[in-house]
Amino acid sequence: MSAGTCDRSVRGCIYSGVTSSFFDLEVPQTLIDRACAGELRAFEQIYRRFERPMYTLALRVLGDAEAARDTLHDAMLKVFQRIAQYRSEAPFWAWLRQIALNEALMRLRARRPIDTDFDPELIGDDNAAPWTQADGATLDRALSNLPDVTRSVIWLYHVEGYSHPEIAEMMGKTTSFSKSQLARGTARLRTLLDPAVESVSCLIKTPALS
Amino acid sequence: MSDQNARPELTLGDALRALPLQAPRADVWASLAKELAPRKRRARFVWPAAIAACALAAFIVIASLRHVAPPATATVAASSSSYVANDTGNTMNAANALKATNVQLTALQSRSRELEQWLHETAGIAAPLPGRDLAAAGEIESLIGIIDVELAAPQSTHEEELWRRRVNLLEDLTALRYSNYRLAESGATGNAAQPTTWIN
Repeated sequence: MSAGTCDRSVRGCIYSGVTSSFFDLEVPQTLIDRACAGELRAFEQIYRRFERPMYTLALRVLGDAEAARDTLHDAMLKVFQRIAQYRSEAPFWAWLRQIALNEALMRLRARRPIDTDFDPELIGDDNAAPWTQADGATLDRALSNLPDVTRSVIWLYHVEGYSHPEIAEMMGKTTSFSKSQLARGTARLRTLLDPAVESVSCLIKTPALS
Repeated sequence: MSDQNARPELTLGDALRALPLQAPRADVWASLAKELAPRKRRARFVWPAAIAACALAAFIVIASLRHVAPPATATVAASSSSYVANDTGNTMNAANALKATNVQLTALQSRSRELEQWLHETAGIAAPLPGRDLAAAGEIESLIGIIDVELAAPQSTHEEELWRRRVNLLEDLTALRYSNYRLAESGATGNAAQPTTWIN
């Protein structure tokens, strides 16, 4: 399978072609074979390789360190229990990412109903991009202030490279829903990061307002 | 598939991708390793542990199991030969050959399970093996362990042959155990048959 295609016949794997994913790591077939044979050290090597991408994805979807840790644990356990089922038609990282994402979204769905409210007025000016000026910590905090679903859509679209139809399918929603969440989240981030907007002071937590 | 051309927020994507990866504070691997360890042990042939675990259960079920006979030995041969008989001549095409292989493999695996089950059930009842038999049994178990390692390797090219060898070894082990099991059941003469000897 070449990059940019999505073979849905491969065990439901959704393999987006944007290869900027943090999961896009090379895994030698010999390592996978050893894990299939039940070698614990091979499992550990795979775990160490994907621990951070998987935890980060879970954290961005769920917005909670404890839940992200549980997701990492459960998803890795599933990976190791099912590794013999893996077929090399799709990249190993894509197969593994899908398991992690399914696990995270399952927890998100169980948490609360997905909020479908969308206010078109929230869409701001695309030309202004306050995140270009913000440092990583500030952007991180702003991201964590978004609603779970909105943040998930932004992360899956921008970082993991999923398309709107793919996100919609995974969340059991429409493509319009995914697009609206992206627009809403982008506008909200803009508001949180723009120093000219009053709400940013809440984010920075200046003494006068805290 | 992705509508990247329509993305107005590429800069946001760059900013998000530039964020550092996060790591869990607690060591998740430690708990995972504990849960995965039994899986590793199961992958190996663990007769000593199985026999030890069965010993206690054997005391409880000893009476009901006294008349358990080992499974008949002709299962695989019969299923195999009948299938081959139905396909004599030159009419067997590739599909039939594949089917025959699958049938044979399934039969071997079934036979293997059957023998293991019997050995498992009678492990605590049979009289202890005399020294020479004990050594032979140990060697057989080691050979089965080696075969299991080969079978655990993915895409084993001679799976059927491995299963056949496994069944043969299990049958040898069954023969060894069965003679001692019969001795213990009948209370025949000989140290191995003495209840005071084999109950422990």
